[in-house]
This record gives sequence, C-alpha cells and structure tokens, in this order.
Amino acid sequence: MSVEMDVDPPPQSAVTDGHGPSPPEPSEENHTPKPDVPMTESSPKPDASDASSGKSPRHGPQYKIRYSLSGHTRSISSLKFSPDGSKLASSGADKIIKLWDTYTGDVLRTLVGHTEGISDIAWSNDGEHLASASDDKTIRIWDMKVGTEIKTLLGHTNFVFCLNYNPNSNLLVSGGFDETVRVWDVARAKSLKVLPAHSDPVTSVSFNHDGTLIVSCAMDGLIRIWDADSGQCLKTLVDDDNPICSHVKFSPNSKFVLASTQDSTIRLWNYQTSRCVKTYSGHTNRTYCIFSCFKGKYVVSGSEDAKVYIWDLQTRQILQVLEGHRDVVLAVATHPTKEIIASASMEKDLTIRLWYDEGPSM
Amino acid sequence: MNESLISPFNITHPTTVQTSLFALASLARFDPTGRYVATARVDGTAAIWDLDTRAAVRVLDGHVKAVSSLDWSRHSRYVLTASKDWNVVVWDLANSCVPAQRCATLRFDAPVVSASFHPRNSRIILALMSTGEAYLVDQRKAHRARVELCEVQDESDDEGAGTSSRPRSAITVARFDPSGKHIFMGTSGGHILVFNTRTKTVCTSLINSLVAVYLSALQMVARHKVTGAGAIKGLEFTKTGRQLVANSADRTLRQFTVPLYPPPAADGAFIDQELEPTHRFNDPINRTAWHAMSYSPDGEWLAGGAADTATHKIYIWDISNDGQFASALDGGREPLLHLHWHPFKSSIASTTNQGNILIWHCPHPERWGAFAGGFEELDENVEYEEREDEFDIEDEADMIRRKMKAEEEEVDIDTVPETARPRGVQLHGVQAGDEDLAWADQELDDDLEGWKMRVIMEDDWDM
Repeated sequence: MSVEMDVDPPPQSAVTDGHGPSPPEPSEENHTPKPDVPMTESSPKPDASDASSGKSPRHGPQYKIRYSLSGHTRSISSLKFSPDGSKLASSGADKIIKLWDTYTGDVLRTLVGHTEGISDIAWSNDGEHLASASDDKTIRIWDMKVGTEIKTLLGHTNFVFCLNYNPNSNLLVSGGFDETVRVWDVARAKSLKVLPAHSDPVTSVSFNHDGTLIVSCAMDGLIRIWDADSGQCLKTLVDDDNPICSHVKFSPNSKFVLASTQDSTIRLWNYQTSRCVKTYSGHTNRTYCIFSCFKGKYVVSGSEDAKVYIWDLQTRQILQVLEGHRDVVLAVATHPTKEIIASASMEKDLTIRLWYDEGPSM
Repeated sequence: MNESLISPFNITHPTTVQTSLFALASLARFDPTGRYVATARVDGTAAIWDLDTRAAVRVLDGHVKAVSSLDWSRHSRYVLTASKDWNVVVWDLANSCVPAQRCATLRFDAPVVSASFHPRNSRIILALMSTGEAYLVDQRKAHRARVELCEVQDESDDEGAGTSSRPRSAITVARFDPSGKHIFMGTSGGHILVFNTRTKTVCTSLINSLVAVYLSALQMVARHKVTGAGAIKGLEFTKTGRQLVANSADRTLRQFTVPLYPPPAADGAFIDQELEPTHRFNDPINRTAWHAMSYSPDGEWLAGGAADTATHKIYIWDISNDGQFASALDGGREPLLHLHWHPFKSSIASTTNQGNILIWHCPHPERWGAFAGGFEELDENVEYEEREDEFDIEDEADMIRRKMKAEEEEVDIDTVPETARPRGVQLHGVQAGDEDLAWADQELDDDLEGWKMRVIMEDDWDM
C-alpha cells in the first residue's frame, strides 16, 4: 500500500498547494531525515513495504497533513470513509453532502436534496449507498454510483441526529431529537421498530459487528444497549456524574463501547461488567457532540480547542496532537485500512483535513 | 454476540410464535447463517425472506410446476430448487440481477421429489425422482458424471434365469449425512441404504441372459433393515451426524445411532445389518403421522411436525433426557406441512397448508432493571451484607490512583470472542485428512464464508 504512495507524492503535493491555506510542506520535511534512517536502524532493509507493517510497535503516530479540502459553506458535521477507503463523504449544516477522493483530494460529487442541515451520514457495507440524517426530520438514502437520492425515510418527529447501518446493511438505526431510536428496513423505506430509548435527544447510535446489539447514547447521559432483534433494553451504563454523552460506538470485537462525554473525557466501557476500563482525557469537549474513533492501537477524537488528539489505546497517553484547524473539530474519521485520518472543523475554518502517517522511513 | 447479555441459561426449545410470514409457501428452510428462510411455492417459484426485515428479498422464478424441495449451500450463496417439472435449478444469490438468473439447470426424466447439495461442495447434487430412482450429479470438470444409486441385489435372487425374483424397492428418501461422506437412502421396503459418496464401482446389470450392461455406480457400504417401519418417509440427522431419525409409514419416528462405516471394501461387500432404534417417538393417542422432523442445533431436542388435518401441532422431545416428551406447540388451525429448526438459535420455521410460515421463538422476559444503570433484578429478596469498608470515606487522590491503576490493565478490542455457535462441530466418523472430504473439496465452488447478499432497493425490482 505504501509503495503506491511513494510513486505519487509529486502530483499530490501540487494539489495540496492549490487547496489548503497553510499546509506544511510534507515533502521537504520527509526528505531530510531519509538518509539517516539506514544508519540509525539496525534492521538491514527499512524499505517502504516493511515500514507500514512494522512501524506501529516501534514508535507513535506521525500524522502529517496531506490535503486541506474546502467546499462546505457551513459547519461540517460528519465525515465517513467509504468501506474500501477510496472515498470520503462529508456532510454539513449547509444541507449538502460532498464526496471526496481520499487519495487525490478531489471533489467527486455534491449531493443536494435535504432542506435543512445534515447531522450525520453512514455508508452501506458495499459502499453503494449512503444514508444521511437531517434536521428536516428525514433520512435519505443516496445511490453513490449515480449520485441520486433513492429513498426518503419518514417517521422521526424531530431532527434526526445520528444513524448507522447494520453489518449486512439491510437495516439502518437512527436516533434524534424526538428521543427515540428507530430501526428501518432500508430497501422498503419502512420503520420496523421505534424504541422509546431516552429522555433527551439521542446523540449517537450504532450496531455491533454482528448486528445483534445496538448501542445508543443521549443527552440524558445514559448509554443503553439493546437487543437488535427484540428491541429489548439489555443494559444501561451510567457514570457517576451523569455528563451528557455525545458519541458512542462498539470496539471492533464488540466487547467494549467507546463513549465520549461532555466532561472532556472519552471512556472505554466493558459493558458486560458495567465498568469503565480506560479513560482518555486532555482534549476539550464541553458543548458539542464530537466523534471519536478507533485506529488500530490508537483512539482518535476531535476537540473544541481546534485540535485532533491521538491517544494510545492501552496507556491512555496522548501520542500526537494534530494542529491546524482554526475552529472546533467536530468530525473525525479513520481510514479502514491505511494510516489516514480525516478531520473537519466548524464555521471559522470549514476545511476538511486529511492526515497521512507514512512512517519515519519516508 | 448478544447471547452473553441475554441468556444466563442456555437455549431451550421455542415456545411461542414470534411472527408469521405470509409467503404462500409449501415449505421453508433456514439458511446456514440463520438470517434468511427460503420458501417453496406450489406455483413453481421460490422466495428468499430476510428475517431481519421480514420481507421477501429475492424471488426465484424458474419452474413451471410446484417446487418440491429446497436446499442452501454451505455459506448460503447458492440455493437449489427441485420441482415436479423434472428440473433442478441452482441459483446464485451473489448475482443481484432482477429477476433472479439461474446459474445451472439439471434436467431429469421424471418429476424430482427432492434434491440437495453436498454439504461441502454445491457442485455435487443428489436428486431423487418420483419414480424411486436417485442420482448423484457431479458437475465438477474433473469428475463430471451422473450416477444412479442402485441397491445391490442379493446374488441369490439373481440366480435362475437371471431375472431378479424380488422387485427392486423404490427409493423414497435420499440425503447426504452432515459430513457428505455417505448418502443415506430410505426405501419403500423399510430399508436404509448407505452409499459412499466418492467410490464408484462398475456393476453388472443383466438385461437378459446374453447381454450384460456395465454401469458405473456408487458403492453401497451398508444396508439396514428397519423392522416394522414400512416405507421410510424421511431422514434427518443431528448436526454432528451421530444421530439419525427416520420417519416411516408406521407413524413412528425412530432415532438411531449412526454406526461408523469402514472405507468401502474393494470387493463390493457391504454391511447387511439390522439397525436397532435407540428411541421411538409416536403419538400414542391420536396415532398421527409425521410430516417433518428437525433436530435442534445441539441435538438435545427433536421437533416433530404432526400430520394432523385440523391443527398445527409441533411435538418436542427432550433427547438429552432420554427422549422424553417435552411439550406440544399449538400453532393454530392451519395444518402443518413442514418444519425446520434454526441453525443455531432456539427457533423453528413451520409452514402451514395456507402457505404461512410461522417463526417460533423462545421469548426472553423483558428485564426492566436493565433500564437503570447499576441495578440488578432479583427473583426474591436477599439479605444485604455490607462490606466492612463499604461506606468508609476514602481519600479522593487514593481513589483516583486506584482507578488509574485498574486502568493499566491491557484491553483487547480486536479479538472476536468465540461465539456460542458451534462453528466447527466434530462430524461423526470424520478424521483429520479424510480422503472423502478432500475429494469433495476438489474444485470447490466460490461459496466463501462471510459473503454478503446485496441489499436490493425495493424499487429496483418491484416496479
């Protein structure tokens, strides 16, 4: 993977110059240490193909900005990489969805249709469809091949705030300001279940890896785990101070949930034992619903101090802080396979930044 | 994944109808992933239903007469439909064309009563004709063949003028065992015949005293007489293949322990032995016959669908408790035609003669305590014993330090825990490096684990 990137940098950095207001020159910084590497490294062949596989245990993340993408005219609310990672979708308060090429930073498509701002988007497992949740109380399904809207899911009685597909992408789960969690039959645009889930707006909802559980969290500070089939509540996680819970997702193996709360803390919960096993802090999160993600051995989150924080999953230490945005970083997304992070910021900045980690040998 | 939160005790048998699918079906089978049911209709179509959305997601229209049987390939990619129009059609669900396209058609010269895929390779198909003949069709390039499965005639019968004195009994049921090593067939004469799937022999068939025709045939490894059974109407295995239940004309279900068969002998000799049932199940009062039976995935329960003309009754026997009758499920007034147990859940799909599919489940009582964090529901009051230090005031710094210490422990967020699903069951009579399995694995189909059926947006095909 990294081999093909070796070939590309010259044309790519040209694009960078055109887009971003202040991208540090990645190529210059990268070139100087290059001759040093063989001398300091004891391994005989630190070539590019080794670097991607062997680098994580040896040193921390070294993300550097590659692209800065502008196009949205109001705050960007959500970013999601397509399942194959080749595209990045972004949504914003400007009622549009934009589709970007992850590797070149080009705008591929702009989807227009919602009549109010969009809060969240989600890709289907095959990357053919994208679902969007909007303040116009609808969820729309877009055909990403053609770029047209193919379904509108009606049912929420207030702003739709969050949504996600199940692993088979035949179901969609959504939550909103009507305080319900809804499960939808995507193909037939039909509401299958309405869970009276919370007593405040639902801020985040998603399925686990095999689609049998749903986790939801809300401004009431509760994290609830539901049986996807029966719709029964199986567990409620609550912290002592009951801070507003703004984002929640299952770990890749679904044994834990990662929850961001507006006390500037991200917690990893073992939901079986109802115990918090890790806390990540250092960033600022008091007001907004900021996304957090897993990236291999790291946890990544935006912050209200206009930075992106990367923690070590195990030690909970901050390993890297990505600086460059000029407003609250609401949305972050991590690439499904490569070492790429996308982040997006609010009104004063309005850029999406793509950060690449190409290891020290570059 | 949700098992750990739901069930403190292991699965039991289903007790109530969860949902009813209006499918106009004559039979319904769960797929191996347990997410779909395939339904066969009298009008010659078949449909795939998604159990998550309870909607038909594919319609397979390829027959001009009723679909008589259905089968799923190992990882649910291929579906086979057999019909009274003399055809067996194989469908590839990975092809999301609308309408669905067939990927293979096998033509026979009689109405097909049942057909099934080899458990390991969908390119090997076993088909049974209404005329009582069974064929094994191998569609692999290196093995391409269509072989009839013939009962070996006793030589004593063939003496005299060379004509068989005993009429060959018709085959009434034919199926693979779960490993695919053997084919089990029931005959109208009350025999269970066992064939080795791989070994072909050349057998001589005398047309008259002068002309002998040499035919290639599968080698029979055993013949079991089931005394008093009459014609065998159905055979079902447990998931491991260790137990076998036979439905027969005498309205009794007999469970047998499947013997271990030696590799087929070179001289064509076979075991001729009576099988003694370990259990007999019947309805002592009404003496109803059985339409279908199905084992639970762990083999601890057996469900029998009663051929009652007025009610929809499923009898459940507890195999782990010496085959005791456990309960009778009442599914209303539409008589039962067929039933099938879910591949790993406590769920049954039973089909009524009106074409509805009842999905049975075992409901979990709602636990209201789950809505409150940190609460635990108790069945009865418990005297609470306070810990010695429970209400001691602890230094806050100490508390934080202790918490931080506890957080030092490594967490594993990637390794998926082994689920309760028996993914690799130990199949009966299969050792490592088994030749028969290796043979079946040659030229494997492209039915890979973890493939996903594409979701077709309704407008795409319904309009």
